[in-house]
Amino acid sequence: MADIAAPVARSPIAPPEPTAVLDGWLVTTQRAVGALRICDATPLSKVLVRAAEDGAVASALGVELGRSERDEHGTLVVGSGPGEWLLLAAPGSAAEAAARAPRPGGEFVTVTDFTHSRALVRLTGAESPVVLAKLCAIDFADAVTPNSSALRTSVAKLVTDVIRDDLGEERASRSYLLHCERSSGQYLFDALVDAGVHHDIEIDGFTASTV
Amino acid sequence: MSLTAVAAPMRLDAQPGEVIERGRPLSFRWNGAPRVGFAGDTIASALAASGVRVFSRSFKYHRPRGLLSASYHDPGCMLQVDDEPNVRGAHRRLRDGMDVASQNTWPSLRFDVRAANQLVGRFIGAGFYYKTFMKPQVLLPAYQSVLKRFSAGGRTSPDDPRDYYDKRYAHPDVVVAGAGPAGITAALAAAESGAQVLLVEEEHDLGGHLRWGGTEDLARLHQLRDLIAAQPAIEVMTNSVVVGRYDGNWLAIVQRELPHACERLVKARAKVLVVAAGLIERPYVFQGNDVPGVMLSTAVRRLINLHAVRPGHRAVVLSANPEGDAAAEDLARIGVEVRRVLDVRRGEDLVAARGGGGVRSVQCHDGARIDCDLVVTAAGWTAPTSLLNMAGDKPVYVAEAARFLPSRLPDDVLPTGGIAGTGDTDALIAHARATGAEAARRAAGRGEAVRIPALPAGRHPEHFIGRTHGMVDFSEDVSSKDLLSAAREGYDSVELVKRYTTVTMGPVQGKLETVNAVAVLSRATGRTIGETGTTVWRPPYAPVTLGALAGRILEPVRYSPMQRWHEAHGATPLVAGAWIRPDRYGDPAQEVRNVRERVGIIDVTPLGKLDLRGPDVPRLLNLLYVNKWSKLDVGRVRYGVMCAEDGVVLDDGVTGRLGEDRYLMSTTSSGAATVWEWVEGWLQTERPDWQVHVIPMTTGYASMNVAGPRSRELLQRVTEGVDLDPEAFPYMHVREGRVAGVDDCFMWRIGFTGELSYEIHAPAMYGLHVWETLLDVGDDLGIKPFGVEAQRIMRLEKGHAIVGQDTDGLTQAFGAGIDWAIKLDKDDFAGKPELVWQRDRDDYFVLVGLQPEDGSVVPPEASQIVEGRNVIVGRVTSSRMSPTLGRSICLGFVAPHLRAAGTRVTVQLPDGRRITARVTEQHAHVDPEGVRMRG
Repeated sequence: MADIAAPVARSPIAPPEPTAVLDGWLVTTQRAVGALRICDATPLSKVLVRAAEDGAVASALGVELGRSERDEHGTLVVGSGPGEWLLLAAPGSAAEAAARAPRPGGEFVTVTDFTHSRALVRLTGAESPVVLAKLCAIDFADAVTPNSSALRTSVAKLVTDVIRDDLGEERASRSYLLHCERSSGQYLFDALVDAGVHHDIEIDGFTASTV
Repeated sequence: MSLTAVAAPMRLDAQPGEVIERGRPLSFRWNGAPRVGFAGDTIASALAASGVRVFSRSFKYHRPRGLLSASYHDPGCMLQVDDEPNVRGAHRRLRDGMDVASQNTWPSLRFDVRAANQLVGRFIGAGFYYKTFMKPQVLLPAYQSVLKRFSAGGRTSPDDPRDYYDKRYAHPDVVVAGAGPAGITAALAAAESGAQVLLVEEEHDLGGHLRWGGTEDLARLHQLRDLIAAQPAIEVMTNSVVVGRYDGNWLAIVQRELPHACERLVKARAKVLVVAAGLIERPYVFQGNDVPGVMLSTAVRRLINLHAVRPGHRAVVLSANPEGDAAAEDLARIGVEVRRVLDVRRGEDLVAARGGGGVRSVQCHDGARIDCDLVVTAAGWTAPTSLLNMAGDKPVYVAEAARFLPSRLPDDVLPTGGIAGTGDTDALIAHARATGAEAARRAAGRGEAVRIPALPAGRHPEHFIGRTHGMVDFSEDVSSKDLLSAAREGYDSVELVKRYTTVTMGPVQGKLETVNAVAVLSRATGRTIGETGTTVWRPPYAPVTLGALAGRILEPVRYSPMQRWHEAHGATPLVAGAWIRPDRYGDPAQEVRNVRERVGIIDVTPLGKLDLRGPDVPRLLNLLYVNKWSKLDVGRVRYGVMCAEDGVVLDDGVTGRLGEDRYLMSTTSSGAATVWEWVEGWLQTERPDWQVHVIPMTTGYASMNVAGPRSRELLQRVTEGVDLDPEAFPYMHVREGRVAGVDDCFMWRIGFTGELSYEIHAPAMYGLHVWETLLDVGDDLGIKPFGVEAQRIMRLEKGHAIVGQDTDGLTQAFGAGIDWAIKLDKDDFAGKPELVWQRDRDDYFVLVGLQPEDGSVVPPEASQIVEGRNVIVGRVTSSRMSPTLGRSICLGFVAPHLRAAGTRVTVQLPDGRRITARVTEQHAHVDPEGVRMRG
């Protein structure tokens, strides 16, 4: 065997300098100070659960299509499609999250580590709906898409899961997770930055140890 | 006298409602000469203040044109501003340093030689294009070339810097189109009732006609503006226009001149649309009505009250309504000598205006001739019912009011203000208040209906056409005489007249001329205006630039994890669908030789990959592929071809069995999405009872093919957990292990290039690491990257067909030359019935290997294979010069009687030459026995 350096995980979104390795991922150490921030959250673990929409797995997960909730482990469980759930967890915890996924006997269920398959971006700030309105036809008003909403739609002409996941105390800071197929992650990120440039969007480095 | 007064002799002292900022003078150029204006001026008002009366030449006859409406829709004021053509000079606000020029004139605005068209005007009337330029047909290109030189419009250059066009979506409860007093009031009422409101106004400021009104109007204007400013539920868009209304109140709104974008298209889904578009003053049709100095009363009032510009010195006013009377009063107030007011209500009339570059006199109904430099007409109003028409309304004509009124609208569209009826400001505001509240109620879908008071139609003289002929369509130079002539020729329907004469088809799109055109036609045909009807107003209501429609360019692209490496190493990019791929790093032939002699590596990440899980996967594979899948052991890989239900080849690829209930299916790069949909379609609609989950993993894995005689040696240096010995890991098998320190990598032994090769699928986040490690560790073995072109050469050497290139939308599976794979003894599979029939017909073209006899000639792909003089009996689908063999090689389709090995066929080259090629024994040109890839 050749002498081989330890692998470093890379997001499809090129991290601006300066960079550092965090939880095995190469990330930017830039910190945003403005009100509108965008962060490459690809290092978060992503696990896909497929099962019957109305079966025991659905009951155990307890999250309906179009909604998201955190479980007792801090994993964000997203009802991302009919009979489909996306579990978002801390970096490097995909195996644990997958192991915790319900597997009741007799029901056909598959659990797949999706971490390397998808890109994930977090857009935060009161202006984030305005930025999204430049790229997506969905109504991001509170009355239509309140906190914890989840939907699959077209963002910048790209199939994207949009999850409203407000942050901060009492979830007062408007925030969205945007989840897309990995190879278009850089494109989606660039489109969001472009849409936010007149709203003073800033790139924020990934720091989260949890979702 | 100040410098400004010298430069702007028609500028008035401060007016109560003026919008110019006298403390901010601006300099600009007009046809090369320096001019001055103020912030808040439009280009036209600044020019008018400086004494300019002629702004443009007309479209066809090149008659001099001045201000008519002094609004966005003024047909005489389309100008070139810097590098932007067709700027509405009566709307666009002045900027410091603007370079403004007239357009459609040569050599100058003052002396335009194409004004000679007027001399032959009687020969180039309506429809002359259709009669004159039809024959002989051979001259049509010449006609087009000459006519193009006469087309109106400014100039633009492909070298101009690209402007930023924005786009956004909006979801208001209520959109109010028009922010006159009624629109503002409706918006306020809707917001006070709990609705989120979007208030859209075409002008730069809110207020409509209140802006150029008297003291009382201005007081009301300020009050309404204060209320709007204090209402957070109203988003105001000025200098914006609702250009279209579509089903479900899907509205297209264009915002102009934003701080960060020249235009923005807003796609709004409104629960309720309130149309408060007001009324547009229509011109009066009489001889000389297009001479510069003939203006509408609203134009005069705008110039005086908004921009403090004296429109003339000696005026004659034709008035049929109070607004005309008010214009006369305004003129008198600023010291213009109003030489006569002709009151239509008393039977007085205007017969003709005379003058060339400007009005010099008018002739009245009683024979009086009055010298003047300004003629003001207030003949009536046109209701701009465009948005109502788009909602399905057919406005009805009310003769006593001389106007059209809305008739029947869907529940989610409400009219208010002048477009809905007649009344004083208080009556219109009361109507608007109720309309706004009702709009909010309908948007909320609850509450008691609000009673909307009826607005009367009102009374107004029907005064459209005078005793002489004049211009009807100022944009297209269509006169009342043209319309009568068309009617005499049999074009007696308003829609036919429109198309024959082009009336209402110019940039103004009928806002000024529709009703007059209908009035002329009705007079010609003896029908009433109501019987004649109007043309249909379709979107867009106002001109929209292509930039606004395009918005920001959003075209998704896809990159492999190794893309940045490819860029850094000089790869020539290949756009393949949404993917950007490395086509080559240098000479593709050299890349081929390196693979054949040493080892190469190619990024094949775009290959489609579907993770199939569940106990019924074999049944699914048997259903979708033409070959058999029941007995695929764990660790084995099999090639398969998929057909659509018509038996046409859909895609191909290999599928490996990774575990008891887990398979990984690969597809072609371009077919990945199609196959996923195809598989899901079958599972969800035809076999919902089967236990199979399909998970697209195309870019979950960074895929790379390591190919060449030294590939095994290279992989032995970086692979853990996999025995690479050919006995332990033979051809068409799959293994899972650690590669370059990365766990969970899959390795397939397959051979698209025809070489010993390993296709490695590594978790994408480590793709670049694995790629770089292989190149680093294999350096002494001579590893080099190769691109798509080299891969295509090698696959052709090996005779591997590409679906979509070596097949087409009619190629059924037997025609692809894969008889060996088609198992018609299976119970069923997609496309089987069609393939049974194809086999029995035996009359299809077949894909074969072709060897040109002159190996130095590479027939271009798509070259036809012919017989006799020109009978097409096939075509070349793939061709390359083989670096391995040193001669050209091909694949191609041939007719059934030519498919036997050894048959000589004739290939017609694009330059007309013909060459001979021989049908080969098999598709493969290199290593047909497969010794190299099985090694």
